Amino acid sequence: MRRERREQLQTGLMLTPSVLLLGLFILLPLCVVFAYSFALRDPYGAVLPGFTLDNYRELVQGVYLRVLMNSFTLAAWTTALCLLIGYPVAYFIAFKAGRAAPALLLLLLIPFWINFLIRISAWVVLLGRGGLINKALVLSGVIDEPIGMLGTVGATLVGMVYAFLPLAVFPIYAALTPIDRRLMEAGADLGAGPAETFARVTLPLSLPGVLAAALFVFVPSMGVFAIPVLLGGGKDIILGNLIVQLFLEFRNIPVGAAVAILLLVFSGLGILLYMRALRRVEAMK
Amino acid sequence: MLVPIVVLIAFAFNAGKSTVVWTGFSFRWFEKVVSNRNILDALQVSLIVALASAAVSTAIGSVAAVAITRRSFPGRDLLGAALAAPLVLPEIVLGVALLVFMSFAGMILGYTTLIIGHVLVSIPFATLIVRAAASSLDPRLENAAADLGANEWQTFRMVTLPQLMPSIFTAFILSATLSFDNLVMSTFTSGVGTTTLPLRIYSMLKLGITPEINALGALMVLANVTILLLVMGRYLPLMLKTNRR
Repeated sequence: MRRERREQLQTGLMLTPSVLLLGLFILLPLCVVFAYSFALRDPYGAVLPGFTLDNYRELVQGVYLRVLMNSFTLAAWTTALCLLIGYPVAYFIAFKAGRAAPALLLLLLIPFWINFLIRISAWVVLLGRGGLINKALVLSGVIDEPIGMLGTVGATLVGMVYAFLPLAVFPIYAALTPIDRRLMEAGADLGAGPAETFARVTLPLSLPGVLAAALFVFVPSMGVFAIPVLLGGGKDIILGNLIVQLFLEFRNIPVGAAVAILLLVFSGLGILLYMRALRRVEAMK
Repeated sequence: MLVPIVVLIAFAFNAGKSTVVWTGFSFRWFEKVVSNRNILDALQVSLIVALASAAVSTAIGSVAAVAITRRSFPGRDLLGAALAAPLVLPEIVLGVALLVFMSFAGMILGYTTLIIGHVLVSIPFATLIVRAAASSLDPRLENAAADLGANEWQTFRMVTLPQLMPSIFTAFILSATLSFDNLVMSTFTSGVGTTTLPLRIYSMLKLGITPEINALGALMVLANVTILLLVMGRYLPLMLKTNRR
Protein backbone atom coordinates (compact mmCIF):
# COMPACT_ATOMS: atom_id res chain seq x y z
CA MET A 1 0.00 0.00 0.00
CA ARG A 2 2.75 2.44 0.95
CA ARG A 3 4.72 1.49 -2.12
CA GLU A 4 1.72 2.16 -4.33
CA ARG A 5 1.23 5.61 -2.83
CA ARG A 6 4.86 6.42 -3.33
CA GLU A 7 4.68 5.37 -6.95
CA GLN A 8 1.62 7.54 -7.51
CA LEU A 9 3.41 10.48 -5.97
CA GLN A 10 6.42 9.85 -8.19
CA THR A 11 4.29 9.66 -11.33
CA GLY A 12 2.64 12.92 -10.35
CA LEU A 13 6.01 14.59 -9.92
CA MET A 14 7.16 13.31 -13.30
CA LEU A 15 4.10 14.73 -15.00
CA THR A 16 4.06 18.14 -13.32
CA PRO A 17 6.52 19.96 -15.61
CA SER A 18 4.97 18.89 -18.91
CA VAL A 19 1.39 19.48 -17.76
CA LEU A 20 2.35 22.91 -16.39
CA LEU A 21 4.12 23.79 -19.63
CA LEU A 22 1.20 22.76 -21.85
CA GLY A 23 -1.46 24.33 -19.63
CA LEU A 24 0.32 27.57 -18.87
CA PHE A 25 1.91 28.31 -22.23
CA ILE A 26 -0.38 26.71 -24.81
CA LEU A 27 -3.86 26.16 -23.43
CA LEU A 28 -4.16 29.32 -21.37
CA PRO A 29 -2.67 31.62 -24.06
CA LEU A 30 -4.99 30.14 -26.70
CA CYS A 31 -7.93 30.85 -24.37
CA VAL A 32 -6.76 34.45 -23.94
CA VAL A 33 -6.49 34.85 -27.73
CA PHE A 34 -9.97 33.37 -28.12
CA ALA A 35 -11.35 35.84 -25.58
CA TYR A 36 -9.51 38.78 -27.20
CA SER A 37 -10.98 37.92 -30.59
CA PHE A 38 -14.36 39.02 -29.20
CA ALA A 39 -12.98 42.05 -27.36
CA LEU A 40 -13.45 45.75 -28.12
CA ARG A 41 -10.65 48.14 -28.94
CA ASP A 42 -10.22 51.81 -28.04
CA PRO A 43 -8.90 54.26 -30.67
CA TYR A 44 -5.36 54.02 -29.25
CA GLY A 45 -5.13 50.28 -29.75
CA ALA A 46 -5.71 49.13 -26.19
CA VAL A 47 -7.93 46.11 -25.68
CA LEU A 48 -11.19 46.82 -23.88
CA PRO A 49 -13.22 44.09 -22.22
CA GLY A 50 -16.52 43.34 -23.88
CA PHE A 51 -18.18 41.10 -26.37
CA THR A 52 -18.54 41.84 -30.06
CA LEU A 53 -18.53 39.92 -33.30
CA ASP A 54 -17.19 42.96 -35.17
CA ASN A 55 -13.66 41.54 -35.37
CA TYR A 56 -14.91 38.52 -37.26
CA ARG A 57 -17.29 40.65 -39.30
CA GLU A 58 -14.32 42.74 -40.40
CA LEU A 59 -12.60 39.61 -41.68
CA VAL A 60 -15.23 38.82 -44.28
CA GLN A 61 -14.96 42.30 -45.79
CA GLY A 62 -13.03 43.36 -48.90
CA VAL A 63 -9.36 43.55 -47.95
CA TYR A 64 -9.30 40.69 -45.49
CA LEU A 65 -11.40 38.43 -47.67
CA ARG A 66 -8.82 38.85 -50.44
CA VAL A 67 -6.05 37.89 -48.01
CA LEU A 68 -8.00 34.76 -47.11
CA MET A 69 -8.45 33.84 -50.75
CA ASN A 70 -4.76 34.53 -51.45
CA SER A 71 -3.61 32.28 -48.62
CA PHE A 72 -5.95 29.54 -49.61
CA THR A 73 -4.94 29.63 -53.28
CA LEU A 74 -1.23 29.77 -52.46
CA ALA A 75 -1.47 26.90 -49.96
CA ALA A 76 -3.53 24.83 -52.41
CA TRP A 77 -1.07 25.39 -55.27
CA THR A 78 1.90 24.64 -53.02
CA THR A 79 0.29 21.41 -51.85
CA ALA A 80 -0.66 20.34 -55.38
CA LEU A 81 2.83 21.04 -56.76
CA CYS A 82 4.57 19.36 -53.83
CA LEU A 83 2.46 16.22 -54.35
CA LEU A 84 2.95 16.25 -58.13
CA ILE A 85 6.72 16.60 -57.81
CA GLY A 86 7.09 14.68 -54.56
CA TYR A 87 5.25 11.54 -55.64
CA PRO A 88 7.52 10.62 -58.58
CA VAL A 89 10.58 11.43 -56.45
CA ALA A 90 9.36 9.20 -53.61
CA TYR A 91 8.38 6.50 -56.12
CA PHE A 92 11.82 6.60 -57.70
CA ILE A 93 13.61 6.39 -54.34
CA ALA A 94 11.36 3.58 -53.12
CA PHE A 95 11.36 1.32 -56.19
CA LYS A 96 14.01 2.34 -58.70
CA ALA A 97 16.96 3.81 -56.80
CA GLY A 98 18.12 0.52 -55.32
CA ARG A 99 21.33 0.97 -53.37
CA ALA A 100 21.41 4.71 -53.97
CA ALA A 101 18.19 5.17 -51.95
CA PRO A 102 19.76 6.05 -48.55
CA ALA A 103 22.07 8.57 -50.22
CA LEU A 104 19.16 10.19 -52.05
CA LEU A 105 17.15 10.42 -48.83
CA LEU A 106 20.10 12.06 -47.10
CA LEU A 107 20.39 14.52 -49.99
CA LEU A 108 16.77 15.48 -49.42
CA LEU A 109 17.41 15.89 -45.70
CA ILE A 110 20.44 18.17 -46.02
CA PRO A 111 18.43 21.31 -46.88
CA PHE A 112 16.58 20.72 -43.59
CA TRP A 113 19.83 21.32 -41.78
CA ILE A 114 20.47 24.58 -43.56
CA ASN A 115 18.78 27.67 -42.26
CA PHE A 116 15.49 28.29 -43.98
CA LEU A 117 16.31 31.97 -44.64
CA ILE A 118 19.62 31.09 -46.24
CA ARG A 119 17.81 28.70 -48.57
CA ILE A 120 15.29 31.35 -49.53
CA SER A 121 17.98 33.98 -50.07
CA ALA A 122 19.67 31.56 -52.45
CA TRP A 123 16.52 31.74 -54.56
CA VAL A 124 16.47 35.54 -54.35
CA VAL A 125 19.87 35.47 -56.05
CA LEU A 126 18.96 32.81 -58.61
CA LEU A 127 15.70 34.44 -59.68
CA GLY A 128 17.07 38.01 -59.78
CA ARG A 129 17.27 40.07 -62.95
CA GLY A 130 20.97 39.29 -63.37
CA GLY A 131 20.63 35.84 -61.81
CA LEU A 132 21.67 32.52 -63.25
CA ILE A 133 18.23 31.52 -64.48
CA ASN A 134 17.76 34.71 -66.46
CA LYS A 135 21.27 34.41 -67.90
CA ALA A 136 20.69 30.81 -68.95
CA LEU A 137 17.39 31.73 -70.58
CA VAL A 138 18.96 34.63 -72.50
CA LEU A 139 21.96 32.55 -73.60
CA SER A 140 19.77 29.72 -74.81
CA GLY A 141 17.68 32.19 -76.77
CA VAL A 142 14.38 31.52 -74.99
CA ILE A 143 14.05 35.19 -74.09
CA ASP A 144 15.73 38.29 -75.51
CA GLU A 145 16.40 40.16 -72.28
CA PRO A 146 16.19 39.36 -68.57
CA ILE A 147 12.66 39.26 -67.20
CA GLY A 148 11.63 40.29 -63.69
CA MET A 149 10.83 37.07 -61.91
CA LEU A 150 11.25 38.30 -58.33
CA GLY A 151 8.17 39.83 -56.86
CA THR A 152 5.79 37.57 -58.72
CA VAL A 153 3.46 34.87 -57.44
CA GLY A 154 5.56 32.39 -59.41
CA ALA A 155 8.65 33.25 -57.38
CA THR A 156 6.72 32.84 -54.12
CA LEU A 157 5.49 29.47 -55.32
CA VAL A 158 9.01 28.32 -56.24
CA GLY A 159 10.20 29.23 -52.73
CA MET A 160 7.22 27.52 -51.08
CA VAL A 161 7.67 24.30 -53.05
CA TYR A 162 11.41 24.32 -52.37
CA ALA A 163 10.80 24.77 -48.65
CA PHE A 164 8.06 22.16 -48.28
CA LEU A 165 9.01 19.47 -50.80
CA PRO A 166 10.85 17.22 -48.30
CA LEU A 167 7.75 17.24 -46.08
CA ALA A 168 5.81 15.75 -49.00
CA VAL A 169 8.41 13.21 -50.12
CA PHE A 170 8.97 11.54 -46.73
CA PRO A 171 5.41 10.44 -45.89
CA ILE A 172 4.83 9.20 -49.45
CA TYR A 173 8.12 7.32 -49.38
CA ALA A 174 7.20 5.80 -46.02
CA ALA A 175 3.87 4.61 -47.46
CA LEU A 176 5.43 3.23 -50.65
CA THR A 177 8.29 1.15 -49.22
CA PRO A 178 6.20 -1.42 -47.30
CA ILE A 179 4.06 -2.21 -50.38
CA ASP A 180 4.49 -5.85 -51.26
CA ARG A 181 6.03 -5.99 -54.72
CA ARG A 182 4.25 -9.26 -55.38
CA LEU A 183 0.99 -7.31 -55.48
CA MET A 184 2.35 -5.25 -58.36
CA GLU A 185 3.60 -8.38 -60.11
CA ALA A 186 0.19 -9.97 -59.62
CA GLY A 187 -1.39 -6.96 -61.31
CA ALA A 188 0.95 -7.42 -64.29
CA ASP A 189 0.28 -11.17 -64.41
CA LEU A 190 -3.43 -10.53 -64.52
CA GLY A 191 -2.90 -8.54 -67.70
CA ALA A 192 -2.75 -4.98 -66.40
CA GLY A 193 -0.30 -2.62 -68.09
CA PRO A 194 2.11 -0.56 -65.97
CA ALA A 195 -0.29 2.39 -65.95
CA GLU A 196 -3.23 0.28 -64.82
CA THR A 197 -1.16 -1.50 -62.17
CA PHE A 198 -0.11 1.88 -60.84
CA ALA A 199 -3.62 3.33 -60.87
CA ARG A 200 -5.31 0.30 -59.33
CA VAL A 201 -2.65 -1.16 -57.03
CA THR A 202 0.21 1.17 -56.13
CA LEU A 203 -1.63 4.49 -55.91
CA PRO A 204 -4.50 3.30 -53.69
CA LEU A 205 -2.06 1.57 -51.35
CA SER A 206 0.02 4.71 -51.00
CA LEU A 207 -2.94 7.05 -50.45
CA PRO A 208 -2.48 7.35 -46.66
CA GLY A 209 1.02 8.69 -47.30
CA VAL A 210 -0.29 11.13 -49.90
CA LEU A 211 -2.90 12.38 -47.43
CA ALA A 212 -0.31 12.84 -44.70
CA ALA A 213 1.92 14.70 -47.15
CA ALA A 214 -0.95 17.02 -48.10
CA LEU A 215 -1.62 17.78 -44.43
CA PHE A 216 2.06 18.38 -43.62
CA VAL A 217 2.38 20.83 -46.51
CA PHE A 218 -1.01 22.55 -46.39
CA VAL A 219 -1.17 23.47 -42.69
CA PRO A 220 2.22 25.20 -42.40
CA SER A 221 1.94 26.88 -45.79
CA MET A 222 -1.14 28.77 -44.60
CA GLY A 223 0.90 30.42 -41.84
CA VAL A 224 4.07 31.28 -43.74
CA PHE A 225 5.06 34.94 -43.82
CA ALA A 226 8.71 35.26 -44.81
CA ILE A 227 8.58 33.67 -48.28
CA PRO A 228 5.90 35.96 -49.78
CA VAL A 229 7.79 39.01 -48.46
CA LEU A 230 11.24 37.98 -49.70
CA LEU A 231 10.36 36.34 -53.02
CA GLY A 232 6.93 37.74 -53.81
CA GLY A 233 7.86 41.31 -52.95
CA GLY A 234 5.20 41.42 -50.25
CA LYS A 235 2.51 42.27 -52.77
CA ASP A 236 0.25 39.31 -52.21
CA ILE A 237 -0.34 39.34 -48.49
CA ILE A 238 -1.35 36.03 -46.93
CA LEU A 239 -2.70 35.12 -43.48
CA GLY A 240 0.77 34.84 -41.96
CA ASN A 241 1.75 38.37 -43.04
CA LEU A 242 -1.58 39.68 -41.85
CA ILE A 243 -1.07 38.26 -38.36
CA VAL A 244 2.44 39.72 -38.13
CA GLN A 245 1.22 43.14 -39.31
CA LEU A 246 -1.84 43.25 -37.10
CA PHE A 247 0.08 42.27 -33.97
CA LEU A 248 3.46 43.90 -34.41
CA GLU A 249 2.83 46.89 -36.66
CA PHE A 250 -0.80 48.03 -36.40
CA ARG A 251 -1.27 46.75 -32.82
CA ASN A 252 -4.82 45.79 -33.71
CA ILE A 253 -4.90 42.87 -31.33
CA PRO A 254 -8.63 41.95 -31.41
CA VAL A 255 -8.72 41.59 -35.20
CA GLY A 256 -5.34 39.85 -35.11
CA ALA A 257 -6.70 37.44 -32.53
CA ALA A 258 -9.67 36.74 -34.79
CA VAL A 259 -7.30 35.97 -37.70
CA ALA A 260 -5.28 33.63 -35.48
CA ILE A 261 -8.42 31.80 -34.36
CA LEU A 262 -9.49 31.51 -37.99
CA LEU A 263 -6.13 29.99 -38.93
CA LEU A 264 -6.47 27.59 -36.02
CA VAL A 265 -9.94 26.56 -37.21
CA PHE A 266 -8.61 26.01 -40.75
CA SER A 267 -5.83 23.78 -39.45
CA GLY A 268 -8.29 21.88 -37.28
CA LEU A 269 -10.54 21.37 -40.31
CA GLY A 270 -7.54 20.16 -42.30
CA ILE A 271 -6.72 17.60 -39.61
CA LEU A 272 -10.35 16.44 -39.41
CA LEU A 273 -10.56 16.07 -43.19
CA TYR A 274 -7.33 14.13 -43.13
CA MET A 275 -8.59 11.75 -40.47
CA ARG A 276 -11.90 11.19 -42.25
CA ALA A 277 -10.20 10.56 -45.59
CA LEU A 278 -7.74 8.22 -43.90
CA ARG A 279 -10.58 6.22 -42.37
CA ARG A 280 -12.27 5.94 -45.76
CA VAL A 281 -9.04 4.75 -47.37
CA GLU A 282 -8.55 2.18 -44.61
CA ALA A 283 -12.12 0.97 -45.06
CA MET A 284 -11.51 0.52 -48.78
CA LYS A 285 -8.76 -2.02 -48.20
CA MET B 1 17.77 20.68 -54.19
CA LEU B 2 21.38 21.64 -53.58
CA VAL B 3 22.15 23.87 -56.57
CA PRO B 4 20.81 27.09 -54.99
CA ILE B 5 22.97 26.52 -51.91
CA VAL B 6 26.10 25.87 -53.97
CA VAL B 7 25.58 29.08 -56.00
CA LEU B 8 25.04 31.02 -52.78
CA ILE B 9 28.27 29.75 -51.26
CA ALA B 10 30.24 30.40 -54.46
CA PHE B 11 29.27 34.06 -54.56
CA ALA B 12 30.27 34.51 -50.92
CA PHE B 13 33.84 34.54 -52.27
CA ASN B 14 33.12 37.23 -54.87
CA ALA B 15 35.39 40.27 -54.68
CA GLY B 16 32.78 42.67 -56.02
CA LYS B 17 29.63 43.99 -54.38
CA SER B 18 27.36 41.98 -56.65
CA THR B 19 25.78 38.63 -55.90
CA VAL B 20 25.44 37.83 -59.60
CA VAL B 21 28.49 39.19 -61.45
CA TRP B 22 31.76 37.41 -60.69
CA THR B 23 34.67 39.83 -60.38
CA GLY B 24 37.33 37.83 -58.59
CA PHE B 25 38.08 35.78 -55.52
CA SER B 26 38.21 37.34 -52.08
CA PHE B 27 37.55 36.75 -48.40
CA ARG B 28 36.48 40.32 -47.72
CA TRP B 29 32.81 39.46 -47.11
CA PHE B 30 33.78 36.90 -44.51
CA GLU B 31 35.89 39.51 -42.77
CA LYS B 32 32.92 41.83 -42.85
CA VAL B 33 30.66 39.23 -41.25
CA VAL B 34 32.99 38.40 -38.37
CA SER B 35 33.49 42.08 -37.61
CA ASN B 36 29.78 42.95 -37.76
CA ARG B 37 28.74 43.76 -34.19
CA ASN B 38 25.03 43.18 -34.91
CA ILE B 39 25.59 39.72 -36.31
CA LEU B 40 27.88 38.69 -33.46
CA ASP B 41 25.39 39.89 -30.84
CA ALA B 42 22.58 38.03 -32.59
CA LEU B 43 24.74 34.90 -32.78
CA GLN B 44 25.34 35.07 -29.03
CA VAL B 45 21.60 35.43 -28.32
CA SER B 46 20.81 32.53 -30.65
CA LEU B 47 23.38 30.26 -29.02
CA ILE B 48 22.19 31.03 -25.48
CA VAL B 49 18.55 30.48 -26.40
CA ALA B 50 19.30 27.31 -28.39
CA LEU B 51 21.26 25.66 -25.56
CA ALA B 52 18.88 26.74 -22.80
CA SER B 53 15.69 25.81 -24.63
CA ALA B 54 17.14 22.48 -25.77
CA ALA B 55 18.13 21.65 -22.18
CA VAL B 56 14.66 22.51 -20.82
CA SER B 57 12.85 20.81 -23.67
CA THR B 58 14.90 17.63 -23.44
CA ALA B 59 14.55 17.45 -19.65
CA ILE B 60 10.78 17.97 -19.59
CA GLY B 61 10.25 15.85 -22.70
CA SER B 62 12.34 12.90 -21.45
CA VAL B 63 10.66 12.80 -18.03
CA ALA B 64 7.23 12.94 -19.68
CA ALA B 65 8.24 10.29 -22.21
CA VAL B 66 9.41 7.90 -19.48
CA ALA B 67 6.22 8.52 -17.48
CA ILE B 68 4.01 7.92 -20.51
CA THR B 69 5.70 4.66 -21.50
CA ARG B 70 6.34 3.30 -18.00
CA ARG B 71 3.52 4.44 -15.74
CA SER B 72 -0.21 4.16 -16.05
CA PHE B 73 -2.26 7.17 -15.06
CA PRO B 74 -5.56 8.70 -16.10
CA GLY B 75 -5.28 10.82 -19.24
CA ARG B 76 -2.11 9.15 -20.47
CA ASP B 77 -3.11 9.12 -24.13
CA LEU B 78 -4.36 12.69 -23.85
CA LEU B 79 -1.01 13.90 -22.51
CA GLY B 80 0.81 12.03 -25.25
CA ALA B 81 -1.34 13.68 -27.90
CA ALA B 82 -1.11 17.11 -26.25
CA LEU B 83 2.69 16.96 -26.22
CA ALA B 84 2.65 16.27 -29.97
CA ALA B 85 0.04 18.97 -30.63
CA PRO B 86 2.47 21.82 -31.45
CA LEU B 87 3.46 19.74 -34.50
CA VAL B 88 0.09 20.24 -36.16
CA LEU B 89 -0.86 23.63 -34.73
CA PRO B 90 0.39 26.51 -36.87
CA GLU B 91 3.48 27.86 -35.14
CA ILE B 92 2.41 31.42 -35.87
CA VAL B 93 -0.75 30.91 -33.79
CA LEU B 94 1.27 29.56 -30.87
CA GLY B 95 3.55 32.56 -31.26
CA VAL B 96 0.83 35.22 -31.11
CA ALA B 97 -0.92 33.34 -28.31
CA LEU B 98 2.26 33.45 -26.27
CA LEU B 99 2.83 37.13 -27.11
CA VAL B 100 -0.70 38.11 -26.08
CA PHE B 101 -0.48 36.02 -22.93
CA MET B 102 2.90 37.45 -21.93
CA SER B 103 1.75 41.03 -22.29
CA PHE B 104 -1.49 40.10 -20.50
CA ALA B 105 0.58 38.68 -17.64
CA GLY B 106 2.86 41.74 -17.68
CA MET B 107 5.98 39.81 -18.63
CA ILE B 108 8.71 41.69 -20.50
CA LEU B 109 9.83 40.09 -23.76
CA GLY B 110 13.38 38.82 -23.61
CA TYR B 111 15.39 35.68 -23.00
CA THR B 112 12.73 34.03 -20.83
CA THR B 113 9.94 34.44 -23.37
CA LEU B 114 12.20 33.35 -26.24
CA ILE B 115 13.25 30.22 -24.37
CA ILE B 116 9.65 29.32 -23.44
CA GLY B 117 8.57 29.79 -27.06
CA HIS B 118 11.37 27.65 -28.41
CA VAL B 119 10.66 24.92 -25.86
CA LEU B 120 7.09 24.75 -27.22
CA VAL B 121 8.45 24.33 -30.74
CA SER B 122 10.92 21.58 -29.90
CA ILE B 123 9.15 19.60 -27.18
CA PRO B 124 7.06 17.42 -29.54
CA PHE B 125 10.24 16.20 -31.21
CA ALA B 126 12.12 15.66 -27.95
CA THR B 127 9.22 13.71 -26.43
CA LEU B 128 8.61 11.57 -29.52
CA ILE B 129 12.28 10.61 -29.85
CA VAL B 130 12.68 9.57 -26.21
CA ARG B 131 9.26 7.85 -26.20
CA ALA B 132 10.26 5.71 -29.17
CA ALA B 133 13.43 4.64 -27.37
CA ALA B 134 11.72 4.07 -23.99
CA SER B 135 9.00 1.88 -25.47
CA SER B 136 11.54 -0.42 -27.11
CA LEU B 137 13.48 -1.07 -23.88
CA ASP B 138 13.56 -4.63 -22.63
CA PRO B 139 11.82 -4.71 -19.19
CA ARG B 140 13.66 -7.94 -18.34
CA LEU B 141 16.87 -5.94 -17.94
CA GLU B 142 15.29 -3.84 -15.19
CA ASN B 143 13.81 -6.93 -13.55
CA ALA B 144 17.24 -8.51 -13.62
CA ALA B 145 18.74 -5.45 -11.93
CA ALA B 146 16.08 -5.60 -9.24
CA ASP B 147 16.73 -9.32 -8.75
CA LEU B 148 20.40 -8.56 -8.30
CA GLY B 149 19.51 -6.29 -5.41
CA ALA B 150 19.49 -2.84 -6.99
CA ASN B 151 16.92 -0.44 -5.59
CA GLU B 152 14.60 1.56 -7.82
CA TRP B 153 16.89 4.56 -8.17
CA GLN B 154 19.98 2.43 -8.82
CA THR B 155 18.11 0.48 -11.50
CA PHE B 156 17.05 3.68 -13.18
CA ARG B 157 20.48 5.28 -13.03
CA MET B 158 22.54 2.25 -13.99
CA VAL B 159 20.23 0.34 -16.35
CA THR B 160 17.43 2.49 -17.76
CA LEU B 161 19.17 5.83 -18.16
CA PRO B 162 22.27 4.56 -20.02
CA GLN B 163 19.99 2.86 -22.55
CA LEU B 164 18.08 6.07 -23.10
CA MET B 165 21.15 8.30 -23.35
CA PRO B 166 21.59 8.13 -27.16
CA SER B 167 18.01 9.21 -27.77
CA ILE B 168 18.19 11.95 -25.13
CA PHE B 169 21.31 13.24 -26.82
CA THR B 170 19.60 13.18 -30.23
CA ALA B 171 16.61 15.00 -28.76
CA PHE B 172 18.93 17.69 -27.37
CA ILE B 173 20.76 18.25 -30.66
CA LEU B 174 17.55 18.33 -32.68
CA SER B 175 15.94 20.76 -30.21
CA ALA B 176 18.96 23.05 -30.30
CA THR B 177 18.96 23.03 -34.13
CA LEU B 178 15.25 23.79 -34.31
CA SER B 179 15.72 26.69 -31.90
CA PHE B 180 18.77 28.03 -33.72
CA ASP B 181 16.88 28.13 -37.04
CA ASN B 182 13.61 29.42 -35.66
CA LEU B 183 12.14 32.57 -37.17
CA VAL B 184 8.37 32.44 -36.63
CA MET B 185 8.29 31.94 -32.86
CA SER B 186 11.17 34.40 -32.36
CA THR B 187 9.28 37.08 -34.30
CA PHE B 188 6.73 37.21 -31.51
CA THR B 189 8.74 36.39 -28.42
CA SER B 190 11.99 38.33 -28.77
CA GLY B 191 12.39 41.67 -27.09
CA VAL B 192 14.69 44.66 -27.27
CA GLY B 193 18.31 43.46 -27.28
CA THR B 194 17.44 39.81 -27.80
CA THR B 195 17.38 39.71 -31.59
CA THR B 196 18.23 36.20 -32.72
CA LEU B 197 20.36 35.43 -35.77
CA PRO B 198 17.44 34.43 -38.05
CA LEU B 199 15.62 37.64 -37.10
CA ARG B 200 18.75 39.64 -37.96
CA ILE B 201 19.14 37.84 -41.29
CA TYR B 202 15.47 38.39 -42.09
CA SER B 203 15.74 42.14 -41.54
CA MET B 204 18.95 42.25 -43.61
CA LEU B 205 17.25 40.31 -46.42
CA LYS B 206 14.31 42.68 -46.49
CA LEU B 207 16.72 45.50 -47.34
CA GLY B 208 18.23 43.53 -50.18
CA ILE B 209 20.75 40.80 -50.62
CA THR B 210 24.50 41.46 -50.33
CA PRO B 211 27.50 39.12 -50.51
CA GLU B 212 27.70 39.58 -46.75
CA ILE B 213 24.56 37.44 -46.42
CA ASN B 214 26.08 34.89 -48.78
CA ALA B 215 29.18 34.73 -46.57
CA LEU B 216 27.08 34.41 -43.42
CA GLY B 217 25.07 31.67 -45.12
CA ALA B 218 28.23 29.84 -46.12
CA LEU B 219 29.50 29.98 -42.52
CA MET B 220 26.18 28.65 -41.22
CA VAL B 221 26.19 25.80 -43.74
CA LEU B 222 29.72 24.95 -42.61
CA ALA B 223 28.66 25.01 -38.95
CA ASN B 224 25.62 22.82 -39.65
CA VAL B 225 27.62 20.24 -41.56
CA THR B 226 30.22 20.14 -38.79
CA ILE B 227 27.56 19.56 -36.13
CA LEU B 228 25.91 16.91 -38.30
CA LEU B 229 29.21 15.07 -38.71
CA LEU B 230 30.04 15.39 -35.00
CA VAL B 231 26.62 14.01 -34.07
CA MET B 232 26.97 11.18 -36.56
CA GLY B 233 30.44 10.45 -35.20
CA ARG B 234 29.20 10.31 -31.64
CA TYR B 235 25.78 8.83 -32.26
CA LEU B 236 26.77 5.94 -34.50
CA PRO B 237 29.13 4.23 -32.02
CA LEU B 238 26.49 4.66 -29.29
CA MET B 239 23.88 3.13 -31.53
CA LEU B 240 26.11 0.18 -32.35
CA LYS B 241 26.84 -0.30 -28.65
CA THR B 242 23.18 -0.43 -27.65
CA ASN B 243 22.35 -2.77 -30.50
CA ARG B 244 25.01 -5.23 -29.48
CA ARG B 245 23.41 -6.12 -26.13
